[in-house]
Amino acid sequence: MVVGALMVQWAMWSGRADVMFTSYVPLKAHWSYYLGIIFFAVGALVVVGLFFAALVVAKRERTYEGSIPLVTFGGLTAAIIAVVTLGHGAAIFVPTFLWSLGLIDVDPGVYRLVFWGLGHPAQQINLAAMVAIWYMLAGLTVGGVVLNEKISRAAFVLYILFINLASAHHLLVDPIAGSAWKMWNTSYAMYLAVLASMIHGFTIPAGIEVGQRLRGVTQGVFGWLRRAPWGDPGFSSLALSIVVFGFVGGITGVTFGTAQINLIAHNTLRIPGHFHATVVGGTALAFMGATYYLLPLIFRKQVAFWPLARIQPYIFALGMLVFTMTMTFAGTFGVPRRHWDISFSSTVYDLQYSPAVDLIMGIMAVGGLIAALGGLIYIVITVWSVFLGRPFEMESTLTTEGGV
Amino acid sequence: MSFYGVPPGITNPPAPLPEGEDHHEKTTGTLVLVFVFLAAFAIYYFVNWNLLAALWQIG
Repeated sequence: MVVGALMVQWAMWSGRADVMFTSYVPLKAHWSYYLGIIFFAVGALVVVGLFFAALVVAKRERTYEGSIPLVTFGGLTAAIIAVVTLGHGAAIFVPTFLWSLGLIDVDPGVYRLVFWGLGHPAQQINLAAMVAIWYMLAGLTVGGVVLNEKISRAAFVLYILFINLASAHHLLVDPIAGSAWKMWNTSYAMYLAVLASMIHGFTIPAGIEVGQRLRGVTQGVFGWLRRAPWGDPGFSSLALSIVVFGFVGGITGVTFGTAQINLIAHNTLRIPGHFHATVVGGTALAFMGATYYLLPLIFRKQVAFWPLARIQPYIFALGMLVFTMTMTFAGTFGVPRRHWDISFSSTVYDLQYSPAVDLIMGIMAVGGLIAALGGLIYIVITVWSVFLGRPFEMESTLTTEGGV
Repeated sequence: MSFYGVPPGITNPPAPLPEGEDHHEKTTGTLVLVFVFLAAFAIYYFVNWNLLAALWQIG
């Protein structure tokens, strides 16, 4: 994976691959760019294979009884989606690599179709892993219960079956596919994956509420939230991740999946506003929260700069909220994505934006800086804890009754 | 018991739930949050249709 990443970086920084992430054919990059991606994907596939192997070993060593635990089931979902994703990557990047060497032809339409079997599901791997971590953190931090394990597992299966079909929304304005194909995938199949997210989005907070109430936190409608451990970075990351992912990323994403609305949003900053809320504000934040538990449990180290760690999720989430919402607003005013000059100053036509755009973009930059500060704090805490942190010798006190 | 630099979920884990009891409890708070989410979704969705109608006028 490192070799692949370095090859791609070299190709880009040396000016041999100016094709952006999508690298749509017939835009051609140097062959090393495609080979680097293939190497990276092979490395990722090996990692997924290690996960499957760990499951087999765990089963053989009888580390659990019955079905695999729910959190691991979520991880398995992510791994299966990863295999499907990497399969699509191999199906299109191997021919494109050969095309870059001049050996074969690649149809641009087929490229776009198959590429998005890699491009969008690559984020759905994170999504499934994030939901698994939500269940884990809910159990570890407040003893959240699983309301109905079969329902939660069925929701994960819905991800496997339908979430990749949502990739079709990238082609909503592409003439390659017919309307029926677009509508079926984005207005029917995709909603079955959205249903899965809404199931998780309900069962996890509800599991936290039930867990809290069963332990005597029964005051009022929101007493279970007020008395939650907000100073625990694991819990605050979980709660903020659900809010940013669901309210900003989820609502915008489902809305953009509608073909007609997609026409006005597709090439504007509203799309990056959506996926920064899901992938950064939701996924990365959940992973950060998990890190604060994994440092003592796996690395056997105390979390360095603990007071800073307790507020880090708030800094990051606040920054991402401001950043993603203003990005979405800017897109609503027509600010384009993927362009270095939003005023198109070198073109023959005159493009005028609402004066509000300057203000919105300025606030967006402030939000981005706050989020970057939160990310930097996380990196410093994690690296310091792993390499220079104090050891954590205490025997594990984890309860097996936590519900996960 | 608390331990500096270690999340409380590890040093002071949630109390185990009594075994064999019925674990049914109300989820009133979550239900309120669900309706807040639904309202936010409906507002955002229909604002978008309004915007679409303004930009792509028919007739």
